[in-house]
Amino acid sequence: MTRVNRDVVVALLLLLFCGVFFWESFNIRLTDYGQMNSAVWPRALLAALALASVIYLAQALRGDFAAETKSEDGAPEERGLLAWLASYRNAFFCYGLFLLFLLTLPVFGMLIGGILFVFLALTVLGSLELRLVPIHAAVAVGTVGAMWAVFTFGLRVFLPEGMLISFN
Amino acid sequence: MGFESLIGAFGEVFAPGNLVLMFVGVTAGLIAGSIPGFTITMAVVLTLPFTFGLSPVEGLSTMIGVFVGGLSGGLMSGMLTGIPGTPSSVATVFDGFPLVRRGKPGLALGLGVWSSFFGGIISAVILVLLAPQLARIGLEFGPWDFFSLVLFALTITASLSGENLTKGIIAGLLGLMIATIGSDEVNGVARFNFGTEILQNELKFLPVLVGLFAFSQLLSDVRDRRKARQPLMESSAKAVRVEHIAAIKMILRHWVNLVRSACIGVFTGILPAAGGSISNILAYDQAKKASKAPEEFGKGSPEGIIAPEASNNATAGGALITMMALGIPGDIVTAVMLGALLIHNVQPSPTFITDNPQLAYGIFVAFFLAHFIMIVMQAFCLRAFLMIVRMPMYFLAAVILLYCAIGVFALDNAVFSIWVLFVFGIIGYIMKTLGFPLAPIILGVVLGHIAELNLSRAIGTSDDLTLFITRPWSLFFLIVAAFSAAFPWYQRNFGKKQWTLVYVPLASLALSVPLIMMGGIVRPGIGLLLIVYALYKLYRHHQAGWAVHQG
Repeated sequence: MTRVNRDVVVALLLLLFCGVFFWESFNIRLTDYGQMNSAVWPRALLAALALASVIYLAQALRGDFAAETKSEDGAPEERGLLAWLASYRNAFFCYGLFLLFLLTLPVFGMLIGGILFVFLALTVLGSLELRLVPIHAAVAVGTVGAMWAVFTFGLRVFLPEGMLISFN
Repeated sequence: MGFESLIGAFGEVFAPGNLVLMFVGVTAGLIAGSIPGFTITMAVVLTLPFTFGLSPVEGLSTMIGVFVGGLSGGLMSGMLTGIPGTPSSVATVFDGFPLVRRGKPGLALGLGVWSSFFGGIISAVILVLLAPQLARIGLEFGPWDFFSLVLFALTITASLSGENLTKGIIAGLLGLMIATIGSDEVNGVARFNFGTEILQNELKFLPVLVGLFAFSQLLSDVRDRRKARQPLMESSAKAVRVEHIAAIKMILRHWVNLVRSACIGVFTGILPAAGGSISNILAYDQAKKASKAPEEFGKGSPEGIIAPEASNNATAGGALITMMALGIPGDIVTAVMLGALLIHNVQPSPTFITDNPQLAYGIFVAFFLAHFIMIVMQAFCLRAFLMIVRMPMYFLAAVILLYCAIGVFALDNAVFSIWVLFVFGIIGYIMKTLGFPLAPIILGVVLGHIAELNLSRAIGTSDDLTLFITRPWSLFFLIVAAFSAAFPWYQRNFGKKQWTLVYVPLASLALSVPLIMMGGIVRPGIGLLLIVYALYKLYRHHQAGWAVHQG
């Protein structure tokens, strides 16, 4: 997907976002108190955002965002779906693992879930070598254990315990 | 009252617990600053969860420690390896690295460390002197003026932080829209909850901020698989003994350069969106222009180290002036500090210094103290910092991702906050990848409530919308906002198009109007000076036949 096409799609998505939120703004309850209706400010913002998105769309169609424009992280753009997926492999894995961590949080809790997340993230981001497994495991247990202890005992935050272990 | 508050602030800042926190904060900042790609902002954002259980003075002292440490930390990696740790130490590398290569690493580090210290102390003095004065001006502001000030802050951030103004504006507007999701703070009405229970309350600032900034930044840092596995700094830099006395003597010999650079830093810090990354280059450029030996720049000139390091630390003082005097964040770091104040139910506004004198003086004292701690830590822990930055990035990324989750959970003991973090982490990463700047979104999220509240107050006070342009301060900010929005075009076409010749005179003429409207003697006097300057510039351009040339 070229930069121009991508920007056009983004501009259209932004316009869709404006439309959905503008529609939803009619569900905002009108009050007979207060100096300004609660829908006024968001609608003004949506109007401005829609206008900016139209300008962005026009610029994208005109080709103002040349293909050589790099993304903010400075990484070159890859061509083709597989190359694109490969270039974002680490990000996809991290988000996937984080989603898994969140979904299993009621079962594993912050301590076990956290250790598993950090260990798996280290394994995915680093090399899948046998000699690194104990290092990754030690780092996961050490760092998550330390963070868990600081927040639980130092800052008195009751982190989710999960079903597997209970400290009470 | 002032003296009592100052004594009270000293007592709080110098309390053993607070001193420990500040030492830890400065050390964390120095480490974060020395890691290429790990920004000062990220370090301050990650500090925020620790401050929930602390008092406001303790929390802000820790954050100031991280901020000051971070600004100074970049010089170590920059000088010893040629890779600047943070954008605010880019110019330091121009002469710091060559001086190290010439066999004077101790002197180079000494110059960097002590310039940072003196620059910070100068800015701290300016902060103490200027913030209360600026706050006095802030007391003149009505809701119209505040609304226009927020507009100006967002416009200048949008125009300076990205390559494309439209994307910057869209980012700022999205930030303002995010702030409207949940409960309306003014009327207490639910907005944009799409019929769900979960969005009945407003979205908390911290998970949104950590998601948009830290989460997305970490994933950008590990996107390249090869780079993620490499040590943060591969060059085998050796710890050296810092030459303190020689460095101090040399800096004092170039005191004009030091003071000028510190003033550049403070002024850049006061401007919203313009931080250490801009000030260090500006100061370096000015030092080179004013130097008796400009040909030495780039080859290890001490002046080329003093200027950027003094200015980047001084930027912190400038950013704090805007935050404390007007209640408006100048950058993401001060936005996070404002967030910390809000968590402790301290409302940032021009009355902040008068309403919370002990906290305000506490910030002043902590800012001074942080620089002394920074000197101590830089001198003794250099070897330890160099060991840490030999770790691969993916180790840090994996651990910090989980830390983000624990940190946002600690805010309100709600797993929902981690979901918000996750969703905004994805949004932030996508926007970053698409080239949208994140600073305007974050400022939009912070300033959204302030903007809406003041608009509501303005409309509630009077139906007359012309007050936005008839009140001098409001008009002043709207004019600056308009010219800052046009600034990217001016910058792009400077020296190429004829219209750029009238940009500065026109801005001066336009700004003279509200200044003259303000009444009194000083402000109309400044307004008249601006008119004279604008007419002089126009006359010179007319004499030169409206010829376009660089410089």
